Amino acid sequence: MEKSAVGRAGEVAAVQHLVTRGYTIVERNWRCSLGEVDIIAQTPGAEPVLVFCEVKCRTGLGYGDPLEAITWRKLARLRQLALTWLGEQPGWVPRYRVDAIGVLLPRSGRPQVTHVEGVGA
Amino acid sequence: MSTARAFSVALVGVEGAIVEVEAALGGGLPRMVIVGLADAALGEARERCRAAVHSQGLGWPTQLVTVNLSPATLPKAGSHFDLAIVTSVCAAADRFDSAVLDGMVLLGELGLDGRVRSVRGLLPALLAAVASGFHTAVVPACQLGEARLVDGLTIWGVDDLLDLVAVLVGDPPPQVVRAPQQAVDTTEPVKDLSDVMGQLEAKWALEVAAAGRHHVFLHGPPGVGKTLLAERLPGLLPDLGQSEALEVSAIHSLAGLPLSDGLVRRPPYADPHHSASLASIVGGGARMALPGSISRAHRGVLFLDEAPEFSPRVLEALRVPLESGRVVLGRAMVHAVYPASFQLVLAANPCPCGNAGTRGAECRCAPMAVRRYAERISGPILDRVDIHHHLAPMSRTYLKAAKATGESSAAVAERVGEARARQQQRLAEHGWLTNGEVPGPALRRLLPLPKGVDLLDEAVSRGRLSARGVDKVIRLSWTIADLAGADLPTRDHLHTALAMRRGEQLGEVTRARA
Repeated sequence: MEKSAVGRAGEVAAVQHLVTRGYTIVERNWRCSLGEVDIIAQTPGAEPVLVFCEVKCRTGLGYGDPLEAITWRKLARLRQLALTWLGEQPGWVPRYRVDAIGVLLPRSGRPQVTHVEGVGA
Repeated sequence: MSTARAFSVALVGVEGAIVEVEAALGGGLPRMVIVGLADAALGEARERCRAAVHSQGLGWPTQLVTVNLSPATLPKAGSHFDLAIVTSVCAAADRFDSAVLDGMVLLGELGLDGRVRSVRGLLPALLAAVASGFHTAVVPACQLGEARLVDGLTIWGVDDLLDLVAVLVGDPPPQVVRAPQQAVDTTEPVKDLSDVMGQLEAKWALEVAAAGRHHVFLHGPPGVGKTLLAERLPGLLPDLGQSEALEVSAIHSLAGLPLSDGLVRRPPYADPHHSASLASIVGGGARMALPGSISRAHRGVLFLDEAPEFSPRVLEALRVPLESGRVVLGRAMVHAVYPASFQLVLAANPCPCGNAGTRGAECRCAPMAVRRYAERISGPILDRVDIHHHLAPMSRTYLKAAKATGESSAAVAERVGEARARQQQRLAEHGWLTNGEVPGPALRRLLPLPKGVDLLDEAVSRGRLSARGVDKVIRLSWTIADLAGADLPTRDHLHTALAMRRGEQLGEVTRARA
């Protein structure tokens, strides 16, 4: 599988994971000059939280767990991207957070998704 | 978030403190955080533990791993926490039933390939664990011999992480002690007293010193055998008793010397060079103070050859340990206490050229130079030394007599052993082993006074003897009586003791005669 194809497959798995948990997908692959947010979604419930997701996908554990590749530098950029996106919105967003989703795509079988909430604290 | 805990031991001096190693999984991206005042070596456990777990094919949790070393305010140093850290992390990940960790201490350093390496200070750590009510210990397999020296613990030696897991799931590996259990002879090669020609008086002074554990000051011109004699003192001393051997072995263990051959049974001997730094002698280090020569010579002999050449700071630092038998090393975070009950042997020349006060030799030093040289060993230090012995060069008659070999160390050691037995009979009920360690007040209250104490009154009134000196002379007279097989020191014994004690004046006497 090509590198970009792995990334796309991982994002598809992550979106599926969020949707089955009742999240509403707001935007995918939002870009600006700073970089890209993989998924922007909203939690279900009466007090929805806007979630900015970084998705990291790998086909094996030879280089460690997918989540280990998300460094504090990436998280810092994600927080900046989140603020930029929020700044462009006309409405008021009362709550937001930054999540990380690790996807392991084995050669055969279902992708394994690990979702860590609120990593940007 | 799942948590678990395992136990290890932090060392402060030779005292161990139980450390609870808690691990919590979850709450963030995968990484490992160690909190609880860890030093650099302990902080690097992060990388060691992860790599070791990976290389043995045991999965490391892909979560935030927080390890807390409690009590959080006690500074912790060393790599021996690795085993407890890995165990608590694996327990938090539910790899085994964590009930097995109750009453168990884990000590050992991990290699990147999962091997368990030996650690310093295992013996004192395990002694602390027993004292705190622990019943099981997991230690590096290569230190099984050392660990077994501690009574009251079930010991599991582990070679690698797989062995550790086997112990934790209740299927321990076979236990093999690697080295034979024998007494360590630290005085090798054996130096015998019969190697020294003549110097019968000095040999007798050494015998008295060995019997009562008295401090000795040997002075005399170069080449008379001061060093030769001092090196032979350990050979005259009896083997250490069980509790003494444990104390000495604990310090050896801290200093990183192997104890796989069993407890140290022979009195240790340290002879630092006169360029030694203060920290190397009394012990030191930035955060965690390590034992110095005085502690390594605990229950043994500390020999300072060419004593006036030592830095005055180093010599003066011996004052308090000489009296108290221990040294307290204060650091910002902790106070480490090391035992330092050593027998001091000083050797010195009387002046820079070495000939002052020697009959038939010419001293080329200016009188002030002689005085300054002698003053380098201060009064307070000399006052703490029991036996002052001046060695004269051998005369021709002595040389002739010396062809016949003198007494061997074994013969003298036998007499010393008998004298020690007498002392123990008398002092055991008070908890002392030798005359040298009986405190002054006890000497005067608990034991009968030697006959002829008026000799001492005279010496004191003439200003020749300090109050401490009186105690020293009484102690010496007891040892001389013990060697002679007497039940109470006689006036003669006291006289001899007084002469040995005031040996510092011998030089002057010889010069006056010459």
